[in-house]
Order: sequence, then structure tokens, then C-alpha cells
Amino acid sequence: MAKEKTLIEMIDISKSYDGEIVLDEFNLNIKENEFITLLGPSGCGKTTTLRILGGFTMPDTGRVLFQGEDITHMPANKRPLNTVFQKYALFPHMNIADNIAFGLKISGKSQEYINDKIKYALKLVNLSGYENRAVTSLSGGQQQRIAIARAIVNEPRVLLLDEPLGALDLKLRQEMQYELRRLKDELGITFLYVTHDQEEALTMSDKVVVMNQGYIQQMGTPEQIYNEPENAFVADFIGDSNIIDAIMVEDYVVKINGYKFPCVDAGFGKNKPVDVVIRPEDIIIGKPGKGVIDGVVTSNVFIGVHYEMCIEAGGIEWLCQNTRSFAVGSEVSINVDPENIQIMNKPQSEDEEAISLEDVLGEEKDQ
Amino acid sequence: MKNTSSAPAKIAKALYLLLIVFFLYLPIGALMVLSFNSSKSMASWQGFSLKWYKEMFANEELMEALGNTLTIALWASIIATVIGVMACVAMNAMTDRKRSIFMGLNNIPLLNADIVTGISIMMSFLLFGISLNYGTVLFAHITFCIPYVILSVMPKFRQLENHTYEAALDLGASPLYAFFKVVLPDIMPGIVSGFLLSFTMSVDDFVITHFTRGAGINTLSTLIYSQLKIGVRPTMFALSTVIFVIVLLVLVVSNFFRKDEEEEAKKASAKGKEYVYKGGMSTKKTMAIILAVVVAMAVAVRFTPSTPGEVSEKGVVYVYNFGDYIDPELVDAFYEETGYTVVCDYFDTNEEMYPVIKNNTADYDVICASDYMIDKMIKEDLLMELEFSQIPNIQYLSQNIRDFMEDFDPGMFYSAPHTWGTYGIIFNRELVDEEDFEGDVSWGILWDEKYAGKIIMPNSIREADMVTAKLLGYSMNTLDENEMKEITAKLIEQKPLVYSYANDNARDLMIGDNASLAVITSGDVLYAQEDNENLDYVVPVEGTEVWTDCWAVPKSCKNYDGAMAWINFMYSYDAAVANFEYLTYAIPNTQLEDYVYEDYIEGETILSEIEILNPSEEVLERCETLKNLGPEGDDMYSRYWKEFKSK
Repeated sequence: MAKEKTLIEMIDISKSYDGEIVLDEFNLNIKENEFITLLGPSGCGKTTTLRILGGFTMPDTGRVLFQGEDITHMPANKRPLNTVFQKYALFPHMNIADNIAFGLKISGKSQEYINDKIKYALKLVNLSGYENRAVTSLSGGQQQRIAIARAIVNEPRVLLLDEPLGALDLKLRQEMQYELRRLKDELGITFLYVTHDQEEALTMSDKVVVMNQGYIQQMGTPEQIYNEPENAFVADFIGDSNIIDAIMVEDYVVKINGYKFPCVDAGFGKNKPVDVVIRPEDIIIGKPGKGVIDGVVTSNVFIGVHYEMCIEAGGIEWLCQNTRSFAVGSEVSINVDPENIQIMNKPQSEDEEAISLEDVLGEEKDQ
Repeated sequence: MKNTSSAPAKIAKALYLLLIVFFLYLPIGALMVLSFNSSKSMASWQGFSLKWYKEMFANEELMEALGNTLTIALWASIIATVIGVMACVAMNAMTDRKRSIFMGLNNIPLLNADIVTGISIMMSFLLFGISLNYGTVLFAHITFCIPYVILSVMPKFRQLENHTYEAALDLGASPLYAFFKVVLPDIMPGIVSGFLLSFTMSVDDFVITHFTRGAGINTLSTLIYSQLKIGVRPTMFALSTVIFVIVLLVLVVSNFFRKDEEEEAKKASAKGKEYVYKGGMSTKKTMAIILAVVVAMAVAVRFTPSTPGEVSEKGVVYVYNFGDYIDPELVDAFYEETGYTVVCDYFDTNEEMYPVIKNNTADYDVICASDYMIDKMIKEDLLMELEFSQIPNIQYLSQNIRDFMEDFDPGMFYSAPHTWGTYGIIFNRELVDEEDFEGDVSWGILWDEKYAGKIIMPNSIREADMVTAKLLGYSMNTLDENEMKEITAKLIEQKPLVYSYANDNARDLMIGDNASLAVITSGDVLYAQEDNENLDYVVPVEGTEVWTDCWAVPKSCKNYDGAMAWINFMYSYDAAVANFEYLTYAIPNTQLEDYVYEDYIEGETILSEIEILNPSEEVLERCETLKNLGPEGDDMYSRYWKEFKSK
């Protein structure tokens, strides 16, 4: 991937609304044929980034380069990219074929070409034969696929997708995730995807950009983001985790509330305060005395694949997931494999402080 | 739930609905029925006739007013819609705070009283030295229509399918293309309703039009209003019926189309694939139909043979008159005889005309005004002297009128009488004792308990006081407080006997046999007799009020020669006869003295008309004219009137 050409460069982009900074000296490179996802909570600036790329919002400062050419002030209708909007934004007074043909008609393509393209695009999104249907007669998922078809017939170099699955129900969302990935592979164009759903981001992307408060928190493959969060925000935002204050006693040993755990990290120095991230599914629950700390199960909820339990141990409430159920009140012990303990530096500024997960999930919509 | 409601509840529901519909449509129904009544009266049905429709289409003034109404409404609503939609585009792009400020600003004119809007627009025009004309009315209408457009379009903008405009740009559309192709169809329902709202508001408007119209520009509402003095003619019922039927047709047709399309959509979606969505078509069609009807009407009106074409070489004479106060055909006759084009404009009361002349808001060459108003205007130096050498026909003015003129235009420098009359008692021979009306009749008959509940008294200060003052032997212009007390006591004493205090509709109540006696002006008598032959009129022996309506020339006159020619023409034999036949008011013209109007009622000659309209010298000697009382006198009169009213 590294050897592929850079398609879009966003350089030192800043944007504020009514004095509130949304993007602050934001830099991002997008490579050709990449599925890149901007992930973050509401107000993190991801939609603004997309709108700046689409040409709907002008940055206060900074430049946008497309194949090295400055397109910062190019109007939206001249840009070689197309957008799929959160609420589909289909034209309700036109039928499906007219919706898809909209961009092609403007660019003055012949009628035969347009007809072929419509057929091709509908086939691509598995909606062949829907040409003359009214927009309102389609389900949400179908409308979303039409919106995608409408965008891709114009053969954009980059497809911008703004939470396109946000309005769909879970089952449909999962189906559409696979469809999008398949489309991406078939079309071979760059996808820039915006979402606040970490599962979506991890499932589909080649590269995930985690954003918060106008800054990039971490950029990397889904595996890197999940397994090696660089700070507490990323750890907290990506999946459930236990984020615990700890002290790095020495290389490969971390002390949590007085209990020493072996780990695989080194180079933090001696007796350095750190944050420790432990994924709930990585906590090994055993019989009392078998683990590092003994504790008591305080709650137990069945959530489908596994049980989610809280275990009070060593003065800390541990969030655990296990396929085995331990009754509330039963005495257990906990342990963690060294490679599952992720050590992070304490945040340097207030901004990087982890925000609670409730805040993130509280508002579903991005602005 | 709904199905379980009991039978009585259902009946109650149906009854309730029926009542609502009944009350909503009863007035319109009554109006439609009356438009086919061959009688002029609203009180009695005298057979089916289409003559009012014929008269309506033949009435150039009415047709012109209709044309003005429709063209003004059409242009005003089209222009207001364009401006309003553009304003919405701008407001939609604003921040919430700014937008709410602008929406607030937009709403103020909506809530503002029409009269304030009307006067302020008129003042602005005058301030900038713009003389009032068709354009000012149009401008004013555009002004007050814009907020309605914004009010109905703005919500549509706010409901716009998220990001469709941006999606269109994204797909390569230019902003303009995107607006017309994507945004416009979505907000079309709002635009249509804004347009229709503007259109109806414009057609309905009276107050603002009244203040901003120039000489000779009438819409239906101002024309109808100005005709109240003589009484609304049934042609108005015919016109209202036509308008109502057209609106009904438009509604039915547009509903029919919409239903059609809905069914098509339903069928198609049931079948699945074949349906071709025709978004926005129904509104477009409705719009097209409405526009077509309006344009057709406006064009039809414009092309009906109208006033003698272009303005004549000799120029235009602007006549400001009470509504329907001359035979309308005289306008053309005057043009043929003298070459002047006449533009008529109308008012309802002297008080309405006065500020227009005083503030010079429109330039009129000739006005018609009542005696006391002439008096007032002479004193305020608003009138020009008449050059009687240019009015040779003034020789035909009756001598007895010249005597009365000494009261308000001593020496007769400023005015020339148009009509005159007396107040007296109209009675129904079938409903009163004939004996009571043999020989001299006294105003006292209105206090006769025999006629309790059958008497109609005037509902205005001066006329009611005049009747009483004359009965008591006082002047009708008395300023003596003791006499006033006596008059008021006498009026209060009469109260239990009175069927109604009425002005304009006294005539119709008499035609409809609702009362036996009424105080009425002589001019209305022939009109009433035409519809009810049992009616007769008498001027009481104590004397009465003589009123005169005169032609005069305001200082704003731009065509003095034309004004003189007009007045001279009014005294010609043909004009006097035409006016008399049209108005049935007394025309003070000696040429009419020998004239016996033979076929006024088929085959019957009314000789008495001379008596009714021209009382004997003996009676006239006891008559007076209405005089200005001055502010203190006015105060006293209204104080005692209030006292009487509150008892």
C-alpha cells in the first residue's frame, strides 16, 4: 500500500464555526485505491473534513491538493469526487433512473451511454429493473444503494461516504458493509468513509483515522487501532476496555493497585505513572487463588455471544467478557496474559483526556 | 372505537356538520339566489331573471374594476412570489439567529393593521412625490403579498430533503441548475400556496387599495364600497356569483386532477414496476389551470369593448363622485359631445372624500359633495370659483334651490347642484290608517302608539335630531342645550315604539313590508315604489331637512375647461333626464318640470313624482339645510346622542 500514489493531500486545514474550532491544522494523506475511514464521536470534525473535500465548506486556512493540484477553492460541481450523503439525498420528484442519470446528463453523455450506465450501476447495487420506481417506494437500504449508484456512475476518483449506513437497522447495516467492501473491490476507486460506528470502521477499512476534537488521535490499520491504541481516548472509543491507572515499575512489569502484572512493554523508565488498557475479553476468570487477584462477581448480563460481568477485585471494578457464566456473588480470580496488557503514556494535555463512552454514544448524529 | 358510537351520537354528529355547512354557505346561497331576482330589492322575490348578468357585462366600470382587480392580483402575486422565494433562498442560508430575526421582521407586516400599512404606503408615495396611480396600487399589493409568500415557502425550505441541493452540486450541477431542477420542485407546494394566498389577499384587499389608488383606478372592492351610498345594485350579486362559481370550478378541477394522479400512483405501486413517477405534476397542473383561468378572465375583461380607447386630444377630466351617482352612459355621451375623456372615481361619504381633496393625494378636476361639506371646503379654501360663463346651461337651475344655496354657498360662486331632496315619511298604505295621511301629516305620527313596533327611525345623530327638533318647533341646527335636552327626552320616549333604527336598509325593510312607517330621503322613494306599489311618501307639515349635492372644482384641478364642460353637460336636457331615470333622485333642472316620466312603471304615469321630489313652496319655507355645528356643537350633539343610545 505504501508504494501507491498519494491522491489527496489535506495540508494544515483549520476550520472554526462561530469561534469554535472544529479542525486545527489538520493533515491527512489519502492514497489511491484505499478504503479509509474517519472515525470519531460527534463534533470531532470528521464530517467537516468530508465537506471540505466535497467542496461544500471552505477551510479557514490550509490547502487541499488533488494529485498535486490545488483544489481548495474549486466549487463542488467541478470536483472529480462524488459524495454519498447520510440521508441519501435522493431527488424525491424523480424516478430511480432519472436520479442515477442526473450527473451523466449534466456532463452531456449520450442517451445510450446513460442507459447502459444506469443498467450497469443498478446491477452493481443489486437493484436491476428498478429504473422506473419512485424513490419513496424503496426501503432505506435500497435508497442508500441508489444513492451509491448515482454517485459511482460518474466514475469519480474518490467516493466520499458520510455515515451512509447510519439510518439503517443493524441487520441491513451489516449486509451493506459487505456490499460496500465488494463495490470498492470491483470499482477499484478510493473510498473515504465517515462514521462514528467503530465496528463499521474496523470491518471495512484499509486504514482507520480516529479523530477527536479536530485532531487525529491515531491512524493505522484496524488491527493496530484495536490492539495497540495509542492513548486512552482511542482505547475507550474502540470497543470496550478497562482503562486503569498504573505504575510502570520497570521494563516488562506493571503494578496495578499494588498487584504486579508481567507485560511485554519496555522503555517507559522506572516507576512511571501510565494508563493500562485491558480488553474485557482478555481477562481470564478462574477459581479463587488461581489468578493474580481474587475478587467477587458483582453483576452478570447475557449479551448474546457472551456474558458481560463486573468483577470487584483489588479495589478495581473490572469489566469482563466470557463465554462462561459466573453467578453474581461467586468468588473468582482474574489474570491477564502479558501480551494483552497495553501500556500507554498518560495524556499530555486536557484535550487528550479520555472522554467517557456515554458521552460518545449519547448523541448519535454528527453535525 | 369509531364503529361503536351509538345512533344518537351519529345523528348529532351529522346534524352538527350540517349546521356548520349551512351557516357557512347560507349567505353565499342567498346572494346567488338574489342575483337571479328580477327585482332590485333584497326583500322580495319577483321572478327569475338574467338581467343583472346582462347589466353586469354591459357595465364598463364594473368590468374595468374586475380587470384591474385581476391584473393587479396576478402581477402582484407573481412578482411577490418571485421576490419572496428569492428572499427565502437568502434566509435559508443564514444562521439560525439571523433567520429568526428576519422571520420576525417578516411577520410584523402580517400582524400590522391594514389601515396602518395602507396609510404608511400612501405617505411614502406622497413623500417621494409619486402621484398615486395603477402602479402605486400594484406596488402596495406586491409589498403586502411578499410576507405571505415567505411565510408559506420558508417552512418548505426548512423541510427540504437533507442535502439534495448539495447532492446536485456534487453531481456536477451548477448552483442555478441545481436550484431549478432539485430545490424548486421540492418547494413547489409552498410556492403554489404562497401564490394563491397572495392572489386572494390581493383580490380581497380594500383598505390598502383605497389609500394607494390614484384617480380613476378602481378594484372591485373599492368600486363596491363606493356604491354603498345608492345601495348595492344586484349586478354585484351577479358578479359575486360568477366569481364564486369560478373559484369553485378551479377547486373542483384541481381536486379532480389530484385524485386522478393519486389513483394512478396507487394502481402502479400495486402492480410494481410500470409506474412512472411524475413528481410535482399535480401542483403544476393546478397552478396551470388557475393561471389559465385568471389570465383568460383578465384578457376577456380587457377585450370587452371598453371606454373610448385612448385618451382624447382634449385631455382627461377626473371626476370624483359618490358611487353610482350619475348614469354611467353619460361618460361616453360626454366624450362624443365634447371630446373629453372622463375618468370617474368614487367615494362613499363626504368624510371619505374630504381628506383626499384636503391632502391632495389624487388630482381631481370635478368633485361632488353635500351642502355642509361645500360650506366647509369653501371656508378652508379648497375650492376654485366656477366660471359660469362657461356653464350656460346653469340657466336651467331651479330657483328654489338657489335660495337654499345661500346657506352654504352664498352668492353661488363655488358650486352647482347635482341632486337635491327632502327627508320625509314613507308609509305603507295597506298597513296604516288612510285617515292619518289625509291632509297635513305631522312628524308626531312617529310617536303614535298605534304604530308601536312598526316605526323605523334614522340611525344617525343629525337626522334623528332633525325629526324631533322639527316636531318640537326648533331648528334642526339648534345649539341651545335646553332644546337639546327636550329633543333627547322626546327620542327616549319614542324608543319602545321603534321597530328599528336604520339608515340604508330602511328602504328595503319597507319594501319587504317589515314596517309601516320610516324616515327616508325623497330620492329613495321612487326606487322603493318600483318594488312595492303600496308605498307612499309625505313631507310632514312642520318642515324638514333639504339636502343638496353639488358639483365643485377643487384647487387640484388640472383641466378647468374640462371641468366646466362637465358641469355644463350635466345641466343639459339629455343628461338631466338620464340621471333622473337612473337615480330617481330629484334633479334641480327646470327643463324637467314639464317632463312626465311615462313608462317608469309599465303603462302607468306617475304624476306624483313631481310632488314627492319637489315639495310645495309652502313646505319648503319651513325647511332648513344641514349646517356645520362647529366642534362644540358636534360635542354636544354626540353627548346627547350617547345618552339617548344608552337609555
